[in-house]
Amino acid sequence: MKKVKTLLHKYILLVIGFILLILPLFTSQYEFYVVERGVQNAIQVLGLLILIGYSGMMSLGSAALLATGSYTYGILLVKLGISPWLGALLAIIITTLIGTLLAFPSFRLAGPFLVVTTVGFGEIVRILLLNLESLTGGAYGLEGYENLFADSRLVYAFMVVTLLLVAVGTQRISNSKLGLALKSIRQDEVAAEIMGVDVRRAKMVSFALSAMLAGLSGVFLANLTGYMSPDSFTSAESTTYLLMVVMGGMNSVVGAIISSIVITALPEFLRFLSSSRLLVYSLVLLIYLRVHWVKSSRPSCAGVAKKLKINIGNNKSGRGGGNG
Amino acid sequence: MLKICDLTVAYSVAPVLHSVNLEVPEGKIVALLGANGAGKSTTLKAVSGLIRAHSGRIEFCGQLISGKRPDEIVKLGLAHVPEGRLVFPGLSVFENLKIGSYTRRYSPNQLKVHMDKVYELFPRLAERCTQLAGTMSGGEQQMLAIGRAMMSEPKLLMLDEPSLGLAPVVIDTIMDKITEINKHGTTVLLIEQNAELALAISHYAYVLSVGEVVLSGESEAVAEDKSILEAYLGGEQ
Repeated sequence: MKKVKTLLHKYILLVIGFILLILPLFTSQYEFYVVERGVQNAIQVLGLLILIGYSGMMSLGSAALLATGSYTYGILLVKLGISPWLGALLAIIITTLIGTLLAFPSFRLAGPFLVVTTVGFGEIVRILLLNLESLTGGAYGLEGYENLFADSRLVYAFMVVTLLLVAVGTQRISNSKLGLALKSIRQDEVAAEIMGVDVRRAKMVSFALSAMLAGLSGVFLANLTGYMSPDSFTSAESTTYLLMVVMGGMNSVVGAIISSIVITALPEFLRFLSSSRLLVYSLVLLIYLRVHWVKSSRPSCAGVAKKLKINIGNNKSGRGGGNG
Repeated sequence: MLKICDLTVAYSVAPVLHSVNLEVPEGKIVALLGANGAGKSTTLKAVSGLIRAHSGRIEFCGQLISGKRPDEIVKLGLAHVPEGRLVFPGLSVFENLKIGSYTRRYSPNQLKVHMDKVYELFPRLAERCTQLAGTMSGGEQQMLAIGRAMMSEPKLLMLDEPSLGLAPVVIDTIMDKITEINKHGTTVLLIEQNAELALAISHYAYVLSVGEVVLSGESEAVAEDKSILEAYLGGEQ
């Protein structure tokens, strides 16, 4: 039995990937769409895991970066007619650059002040999308672009594989020197500086990685929906992404993926409750957080895993201790 | 090894240091004494690049370091143990030490060698290597802060009030360890409010008062000059 657990621990990402890949065989068209969105959200949330979880820089502008990725892809394809793959690449690059610029306020601002800056950024992007009608289609939205693959199942498979690669990368960062630098910034910026961490560079890398994944996720979103409008990128979306990171435990890759997919699907599962569905949704989340607020200040899906005695991710730093 | 010439530092408009001159010779322990607000910590922060000097030069091993970034200064071999320890409370002892070697490109083997050295110096840390730093006692945290600084193999170790808030027995251990570190070849710049302690283990001493060096010399000589110590540090009655 123990052997099974260690094996599961080692290959948990592969297991998740396998489940995700065979899932379309058992789902209806609509359920398949929900799973697709879950996987796409997970890519975005892994970016936020680096930014918010590892580095401790709170952002509520993530939907805006997602929008940047989506719209850049859409606009490049519709207006310039370039190939989807080149469009995707350029969209990711441009989103990364814009996201990196967001790091500059973070050099001087922290905590609530940084949050407000990112909210401001989010609103600016949303309003630009609404008003640059000739480019973005305004409130009517943008459509009529090609997808990466004509077959939506291929897009899905590609997305799942990408998610796995991103997950492995994110996990590696956590254990790397960069990850250590980011964690040290979260804990104490002055101390990190004294230890020789180039705080500004680390912050920029963190923002850049997070924006890159947002851009990637945005491209996939454009592929899934075939249509984009400013309504899909409101600050409520940013809040949902924040929720996904927090519920995922803020330091666990597997936790982040599971929580992304569960939170994406939860409102759909609760649809039979009709109008009281949002109330129940919020209650479920609250109860979950209350139950898994284990000892440390980090509630998580990792908490569930701990109960199942699977050691997912590197929760070495987040919990434990207490025998002082 | 470390040479500070005419260092003036001001927080916004209020000057804190007035042309401070200070020298730390290689292989020695130099104490920087002074009452609260004398400018001791400010001097250290200016040296490690945390705050900008208004004017003056800071040289380390013949190289001008004033104006450099903190990470560049750490790379040159200057480690700073800040006031109040500032260990990373949510990281384990092991991770704290690992960050100490952040500017060095150690191979896993080298990392282990250096970590073992620190564990040898502070066996207590070895016992607690997986524990979160924030859950340890003040003395253990101070040991960790010193050990973390030693991970970068510094030529000069700067300590900002290592005795702060510790029990007398623990302070003695810490002071013994500082002497031991120095014997192994690391130069030490020690900031202390507790003049007696610092003078007992240091070779040279400087006394700061309201941002100026008012007294300097060999520690023994300074220690004998009771009247001056009383005037500036409020020594024994």
